[in-house]
Amino acid sequence: MPMEIPRTDVLITLMGAPHADDLITTTLRLIEAMLTRGGRVQVWACGYATLLTQRALGDSKPRNPGDWSTDYPSTAAVVEALLDAYPDRLFWYGCRFCSDDRGAVDHLPRVRLRPPAGYAANVSAAAKTMLLGVI
Amino acid sequence: MAALGIVERAYRGALEKQFFDGLYLAAELNRQLGGLEILLRGPAVGCAARTGAAGSLRFGDRVVRTLSDPPQGVRRLLADGIPVWVEEPDLVVLGLADDGVLWDGVRRVAAGALAARWAEFRMVFYL
Repeated sequence: MPMEIPRTDVLITLMGAPHADDLITTTLRLIEAMLTRGGRVQVWACGYATLLTQRALGDSKPRNPGDWSTDYPSTAAVVEALLDAYPDRLFWYGCRFCSDDRGAVDHLPRVRLRPPAGYAANVSAAAKTMLLGVI
Repeated sequence: MAALGIVERAYRGALEKQFFDGLYLAAELNRQLGGLEILLRGPAVGCAARTGAAGSLRFGDRVVRTLSDPPQGVRRLLADGIPVWVEEPDLVVLGLADDGVLWDGVRRVAAGALAARWAEFRMVFYL
């Protein structure tokens, strides 16, 4: 049975990799801004963006030897905070092929993996689609 | 004999890198390699600008106050005694060429001028 894709105002197809430029920071700020204005948002993480929601990241980055007691949240913790705050208006999907291809196989429980062939269904469920970054 | 680290790309993941950006790595390489000089080129010359601390971002109920802060990273390198060079034409392009815009101690250099000194370094690499 095909997975139901809830309708959203926007689909963000996140293709760019973390740690390369400020695309991830900008994208998550954009998502937060749309949600605080009452929007409904879905994210399709592709390529290395599938690494953002890996449970292996834990809640925090590795400790900073230069500032041992400061907590630095992981990207998984940040995405989880968004999913906690907007459970009915934010939906996070991961590309199964890209995840498998990069060994990113243990996502946050609320990340739903999708086959590449199912991408059009996500596009159809959004009023507008944006593709950010390149794979 | 110092090494030379060249930084050309700026702002590479404030949210995911946080403290561990290229300038943090530079401080560690300086410690391990027994000396380092840094050359900022292109958009990275903006890291030498005298600015306030990086702000915070809210995501749901979580506030991230530990975003990368490259200008503070440059300041720390200067405090460690690491020479920091910036290429003058890129400062002009970004409107950062006036007096008082950069951190004290940042050294200006003509485009490509440091290449003439490469033989003085034990290694030259990009960061």
